[in-house]
Amino acid sequence: MNPTSEVLQGTLDLMVLKTLSALGTQHGFGIARRIEQISENVLKLNEGTVYTSLLRLQQQGLIKSQWGISENNRKAKFYSITKRGTKQLAIETSNWETFSGVVGSVLRLKDVRQA
Amino acid sequence: MTRVILQLWSRFRGLFGEESSNREFRDEIETHIALLTETYVRQGMSKSDAMRAAQRQFGNAALLEQRQREARALLWPSTIVQDVRYAFRILAKSRATTVISIVSLALGIGVNTTIFTLAKAALFDELSVRHPEQLRLLAYAQDERSVLREGTWGDFYTDPQGRTILASFSWPVYQELLRRDNSLGELFAFVDLTQFEHLSATIDGHAEVVTAELVSGNFFRSLGVGTVLGRTIDDADDSAGSDAAVAVISDSFWQRKFSRSPFVVGKTIVVNLVPITIIGVAPEGFSGASRVHNPQDLFIPLSAQPLVFPRKASSLLSDPKTWWIQIMGRMAPGTSEAQARASLAVSLNQAVRSTMDVPPGRTIPPLLLLPGGRGWNYASQQLEHPMPLLLGLAGLVLLLACVNVANLLLARSSSRSREISIRLAVGAGRARVVRQLLTESLCLSALGGSAGFLLGYLSRNVLPRLFSSSWEPAVLHARFDWQVFAFTLLVAVLSGLGFGAVPAWEATRNSMNAGLKDGGTTMTRHRHGLPGKVLATAQVALCMLLLVSAGLFVRTLSNLNALDPGFNKKGLLLFAIEPSAKRYPVLKNTEVLHQIEERVRSLPGVESVTLSKEALLGQSGSNSDFISEGEPSLAGKERIEFNSVGQDFFQTMGIPVLYGRAFNSSDTSTSTRVAVINRALAQMKFGDKNPIASFFRMNPEGERLEIIGVCADTKYAWIREQEPPTFYLLYTQQEEPIRSMTFEVRTKGDPKGFSKEIRKTIEAVDKDLPLIDVRTQEEQVDADLASERSCAIVTSGFGVLALMLASVGVYGVVSAGVSRRVNEIGVRMALGARADQVLRMVLGEAVGLAVAGIVVGLSAALLLIRFLVDMLFGLRPADPLTLLCSGLLLSLVAVMAAWGPAQRAARIQPVRALRHE
Repeated sequence: MNPTSEVLQGTLDLMVLKTLSALGTQHGFGIARRIEQISENVLKLNEGTVYTSLLRLQQQGLIKSQWGISENNRKAKFYSITKRGTKQLAIETSNWETFSGVVGSVLRLKDVRQA
Repeated sequence: MTRVILQLWSRFRGLFGEESSNREFRDEIETHIALLTETYVRQGMSKSDAMRAAQRQFGNAALLEQRQREARALLWPSTIVQDVRYAFRILAKSRATTVISIVSLALGIGVNTTIFTLAKAALFDELSVRHPEQLRLLAYAQDERSVLREGTWGDFYTDPQGRTILASFSWPVYQELLRRDNSLGELFAFVDLTQFEHLSATIDGHAEVVTAELVSGNFFRSLGVGTVLGRTIDDADDSAGSDAAVAVISDSFWQRKFSRSPFVVGKTIVVNLVPITIIGVAPEGFSGASRVHNPQDLFIPLSAQPLVFPRKASSLLSDPKTWWIQIMGRMAPGTSEAQARASLAVSLNQAVRSTMDVPPGRTIPPLLLLPGGRGWNYASQQLEHPMPLLLGLAGLVLLLACVNVANLLLARSSSRSREISIRLAVGAGRARVVRQLLTESLCLSALGGSAGFLLGYLSRNVLPRLFSSSWEPAVLHARFDWQVFAFTLLVAVLSGLGFGAVPAWEATRNSMNAGLKDGGTTMTRHRHGLPGKVLATAQVALCMLLLVSAGLFVRTLSNLNALDPGFNKKGLLLFAIEPSAKRYPVLKNTEVLHQIEERVRSLPGVESVTLSKEALLGQSGSNSDFISEGEPSLAGKERIEFNSVGQDFFQTMGIPVLYGRAFNSSDTSTSTRVAVINRALAQMKFGDKNPIASFFRMNPEGERLEIIGVCADTKYAWIREQEPPTFYLLYTQQEEPIRSMTFEVRTKGDPKGFSKEIRKTIEAVDKDLPLIDVRTQEEQVDADLASERSCAIVTSGFGVLALMLASVGVYGVVSAGVSRRVNEIGVRMALGARADQVLRMVLGEAVGLAVAGIVVGLSAALLLIRFLVDMLFGLRPADPLTLLCSGLLLSLVAVMAAWGPAQRAARIQPVRALRHE
């Protein structure tokens, strides 16, 4: 899957935000790896796209960043969720669940065409 | 919502510290890829495999960096500077194209700037008063049964429905309206005295002509205009019986005559031999209420009329029968115009009935409300008439210039296809490349626009001059201000986007591969150079439109010029004399005029001299009733034009007398009052009967006049008007006092050379009598045609520009075509085609292009010509001669333009052509 369209970019933002909320402070590589793991490798991202999400989330004030040292002693930027981000995450999550529920119901409609 | 704001704010902050952010991100990417590599190594890949896999997994790092850069900061400022610098480099490289483009744009934009400056003055400039859009001028439509048939003085005009519209009221009616009706607030009154005569003022001993407006006491108050020095005229100054001979002067007069001296209040100037005290100075830009440009010099209360502008024995202010004053009011916001008009119409009715007798069978004219924000002059002179046409044509010239530039850029874009393909391949989005190309176009249009703006500035006074007569101040003032700049800017930007869009789109449509191939020639896709040919055809079509319009106006002008006015207009010098009432009471002014007549006649080189109240083709006239003997009522009879002339009038003007005799020395102030009528009048009133020795009156109580002769028909006030029925009186037999007479002097040789001698002669008679409006009869006729002549000159200029631009366009397209087809022509010649065959082939294609353009242009012209109909004269709108000549001229120019490239094609040497790949 190649998540570069608008819709999927939005959902990537949501996944990144959730990852940071659940797993605490992380750098970009860690976030990308986690998303791949959790999706059981169904989602194979071009990992660079994570950075587009991170920039957007940071510009909107939902996450903040700080420079630190990574596990292999390299300089890396670490991201963490903000209070505003936590609030927004709750809203977006509930929206997503409603949305997917509705779509699911529609898709499960029995076929009622006359034969 | 807050998120969006936060985002914008972050992006704004991202403008700063760009370099360090870029470096940091690069570090981040490196770290990420390094970590990924390590992961793969741990999974068992070799180091080099792992690195490659990691980079692949990461995605396009360079592209990501670019996207991040763009997302981090507000896009525009950083990249725009880059774009502009690059644009200038590119423009400098292809100098020829750039120069031609800039010149084309300068001409196109410059033309629009000039016309806009003029149109703005005619269409938009308003009186410099408080809320001019609220002002309304009272007016009415005149007809034969109107009770106001006689005694109306002042300007008038004919509206599109053919009605004669006047705005002159009597002072008693004004007083009644003021009392009875306030639907338009407090009505105020004014009169532009320059309609009637020239005032002479003596300031510090020097005499000169000044302009003045008589105003009511509430004039300044109602207009919301104060003074910068002293006080305004108020109700006390304008009360009956006040002999307040005071004046407020305009800023321009203050500047001109007193050099803005602060001590001007209280000074006395002598106007028409009456001492007047200056009480205040009006603000800059205030020009009165009759006109927007050319401010009046003086504003004098109406109560001073008997002193300054005496006309009859008693004051005009108490005369209910003389209608000469303009009235304006202010529309309060929220009030209905229809209601105000209806209410005023009723009030006018009552006012007229209470001030004068309305005999049965006579009607009171219906009241109209005209917009007053541009003064009375604006409506009556119909300055705005040719403007929309000129603006439209100027727009066409600009379109032509833009198409020209588009074509040039298109031709160049094929040579840039390689550069653009590389940029697309490296990852620039289509939008980005298009933006770059548009930036180049905007730079071009900015340069062209600046040059055009300069051109407009330098020529700003040329057009207003064309529209006015050569001896009077220009009727329009073209103010070159920020609005003109804004217009030019808008036009330049729109042009840039307009002509830039086509080549930009065309350039990025190339497939990347084709551009990158060495010497890439795209063989298929679409027909070669089609866009270029379409554009060139469009240029030819536009040129045809402009040529046709120019041709029509030039022919109209020449038709009008060729009209026989009915008299000999060559070799006549005209000037006006206005003997002041004070120095020359009634009898004495005919004496002084007679004296001048005699003295000028005796000058060497003067063949004959005469004078007349109305200069022929002077755009003004006098009319009266014509009551033949035995004709009782005037019901439904139209008024007849007349002129009060000197003894040698018919001889001097070269008007043949067909029957009877002209005036001679036996006609004196004491002999029978006589008149000469023209053939049209004889036909109208007497049919086939002999009118000689019949009598008529000019009004029921007046003396009767004997008809002594019938003369040929002549034009009267306007050359477009057919020769009206006219009669001529002898001025020495007139009972009305004469305020202004125009002398006509027939001279041997150039009339203008005599003005000095004549001036000296008149000074000998009376040194305080200035010579007014010196001009030749031919210049007078030209003044009547000022509007048509200006249109003809301007449209011809457009036509020439259009030809130049179109020829450049045709040359460019044919030349590009030849360059593109060098191989093909080489092959043809190698196979046996001769040079002249190739020449004919190229020229043939050029002619084909031209013909296509001419046909399109012709169709468009036939469709649009109907809008010109009322400006033309003496020809059908679809005039075959004009259409034919335009088409031929354009074809000729197209062939000439294509000649060079065609010759180049014919001289191609097959061997070299085939080698050139």
